[in-house]
Amino acid sequence: MFMSMPTARFPSQPAEHVSRELAEILAIYERLYPARHLNFYLYEGDNPVWCEPTIIEGEFVPGPEHLSPEYLGHLACPGKDDAAPPVTIMLSVPRAPDPREASQTEPDWKPVRLLRMIYFLNPLIYEQIRHMAEMMRKWRRDRGRDMVALARGHGTPLMTGPGPQANGRPAILIGMHWLELGGAENLAFDCIGWALEAGLRVFVIAAVPSLQRLAGRLPQDADIRFIRLDRYLPHHLWPRFVERLVQGENIRLVHIHHCAPLYRALPYLRARAPWVRVIDSTHIVEYADGGYPRISGTWSNFIDTHHVISNDLIRFYQDRFHAAGKLALGRMLDRSQLAQPLVPMTMRAGKKSLHFAFVGRFYYQKRPIVLIAILRALMRWARRGGVELRATVMGEGPFRAAMCRLLRRYGLAERVEIRSARMPVFELLEEADILLLPSSNEGLALVCYEAVRHGCIPISTRVGAQDELLPEGLLLPLSPFATVRAAVRLVDRLWRDGDFLARQVAELNAAWTRLGDDPTAREVLMPVYLSAASTGQERRRA
Amino acid sequence: MSVLTGTAAIIVTFNRAAKLTKVLDALDRQVVRPEVIWVVDNASTDGTGDLVLARARQMPAIRYLRLPGNLGGAGGFHAGLKAAYAQGANYFWLSDDDAYPEPDALRVLQEEMTGFQARHGWRPAFACSRVEWTDGSLCEMNTPRPAWDWPRFLCDGSAPVLVESCSFVSVLIPRWAVKEHGLPIADYFIWFDDVEYTSRLSRSYPGIFCPRSRVVHDIASNRGVHFGQLRESDLWKYRYGTRNEASFRRREGGIAGLAGYAFRVHRQMKDADVPWRLRRRIYASILRGAGFRPGIERV
Repeated sequence: MFMSMPTARFPSQPAEHVSRELAEILAIYERLYPARHLNFYLYEGDNPVWCEPTIIEGEFVPGPEHLSPEYLGHLACPGKDDAAPPVTIMLSVPRAPDPREASQTEPDWKPVRLLRMIYFLNPLIYEQIRHMAEMMRKWRRDRGRDMVALARGHGTPLMTGPGPQANGRPAILIGMHWLELGGAENLAFDCIGWALEAGLRVFVIAAVPSLQRLAGRLPQDADIRFIRLDRYLPHHLWPRFVERLVQGENIRLVHIHHCAPLYRALPYLRARAPWVRVIDSTHIVEYADGGYPRISGTWSNFIDTHHVISNDLIRFYQDRFHAAGKLALGRMLDRSQLAQPLVPMTMRAGKKSLHFAFVGRFYYQKRPIVLIAILRALMRWARRGGVELRATVMGEGPFRAAMCRLLRRYGLAERVEIRSARMPVFELLEEADILLLPSSNEGLALVCYEAVRHGCIPISTRVGAQDELLPEGLLLPLSPFATVRAAVRLVDRLWRDGDFLARQVAELNAAWTRLGDDPTAREVLMPVYLSAASTGQERRRA
Repeated sequence: MSVLTGTAAIIVTFNRAAKLTKVLDALDRQVVRPEVIWVVDNASTDGTGDLVLARARQMPAIRYLRLPGNLGGAGGFHAGLKAAYAQGANYFWLSDDDAYPEPDALRVLQEEMTGFQARHGWRPAFACSRVEWTDGSLCEMNTPRPAWDWPRFLCDGSAPVLVESCSFVSVLIPRWAVKEHGLPIADYFIWFDDVEYTSRLSRSYPGIFCPRSRVVHDIASNRGVHFGQLRESDLWKYRYGTRNEASFRRREGGIAGLAGYAFRVHRQMKDADVPWRLRRRIYASILRGAGFRPGIERV
């Protein structure tokens, strides 16, 4: 490797940061182009998450624009021999994030300019308009988009190439959306632990460039590698990289957790490494275009097993993609926790003080503005009934500033506490009487499981598979105004009518038991992981 | 000759959950199993859906396509073939929900089809099995119609017989034939959709009858389609069949073809002294068929 830049020339980029970034960049591109001459043109980046690469396969002569003021230098990595074709890679070394970015990458949410005045007059009307637009998109999706799985030819045994060549312990590639907070990410982290337990080496990649703040949650284990494709490699080159990784690292299993570019790598992988087993896990059907289950269903013929977390998704795959034989239901529940007795509900009819909780990311999906409207309406209700009411809202995200402003505007700042998402959830749920979960879209929210387990009554919008856990009486309509009205009516009834409250608790307990009869995600996935681990080892023994 | 053998089985079903189970058992026992089994459900109300979904947990090859209503056998095969074609299968094996293939039925069809092409250079448009009734006799209603030169390759008694049409009970159709001739006519609803479709495929080259591939058709009685046997209880099926065949004859042979068909139907009913109230309904169906021109959907 030849570098034409002394480290002292980077006054604004600490040399250590640049070297660390370079090491990861080189590891990726040397795997992608193992025999070629690599010419890196490096720039000082102003983006903390993405290096904006441009790749030119072949000779390249830089022009004056390529030696811009941000130009850091040129780095040459010789290929296998002199005749090796060159590849030029131009990229900006991402800068270190500032503390504000480190806590929240996305800018604060603002209402769209056209409707800003409406928002300031009444945020709930703004939400109602947004909800209607969303429903319109859903309607258009249902009408316009024909969901069909892509055709796949399986070839002929006559053309079977060599099998896996790599040595080393068998490995799994786990593709995630990103390493940030979320239900799908929780499952992916669990899967990483189970794969290690099964004896697989684990490679993790993420689709979306981000600071990947939960990377620290990856187990400290020599068998785990998080490869930052999200930061350094454009999506169109993923198929080639993934194929090289699979061939080079004896990867036997690919598990996709909401990782869109990994789906697009499947044709290349199926053609070049047909022995690799592919499974995916999906959680939630999104209104706009069906989301990941639609993407997954479209690629169904390239995937061996679709793991889903709810019967709602089973129906979706079945009705849209007819994929009956590929579906495996595995609940996001822990069998050992299922065996433990549930904490008795804190809520009592006629209680003089009520504590509400919300746990979730402050993104539109969780309807943070509707949540504040519900809390405002509940405060009025509490004043009328002489009930002492307080709420704890736990999470973070771009809606935080808007939520704080609204709380101040409605005079709720003293009664509603906003806590960081890093605080323990269980303590809050055991303390709170009712969990509020307004949502525009949901799979089966993990926090509702946790609420039931920790003695907190969950109240949620009727979306996704929420009705598989929550009884009819605890579900709210989706339309924002109706959500707010129904939430107040429901809380009032729970508070006044002891029989109603007891019925809801009994139904929650029954649903909990019913869900416990279904297999858990671990029970469904662990045999697949064990099989992948043993297959690779058998071959090595042979 | 194609070396690609990926096969999709397409079973159309309607309220016959118990028999469908036996069909799936028979498919599971095949020496050469289809890569994918499409169960096309004409909106059954007897729990067929639950049965298929439960079965799919043991047979990952199963795909379940539930139609919005009862579209008849024709609608079912149309939808099933369309879906299976879109998913990329190289061969399509079509059969009923009450026909149980012997373990090597599918293998023989595949071998005969590729073998025929290797030996004679021609690509058969389809290959059909010998369909037997439950007592082992030939199933009357599933007897294929031979081509005019049916014994062309029947020199040593082992080569298959050329056929012009057959029923949708164990017939193997290659992808190229569907690509060239399109899908079965869904508007036929029931009866004659199979004859029309396989006749259409035969325009490229006739199909082959493979007696070594055997299927048992579990129907109540072993009767063929003859207008002399017309009964009140069968009338609805005969009316669809008459309309569909009249439409086909008109399309293929013009007014003369239609007239010839009407005369044959008339003779059969007259000779068997079929009551006039039934005959009138059949004549009306022929008239309806004369003006019935459903489109052919291409893939």
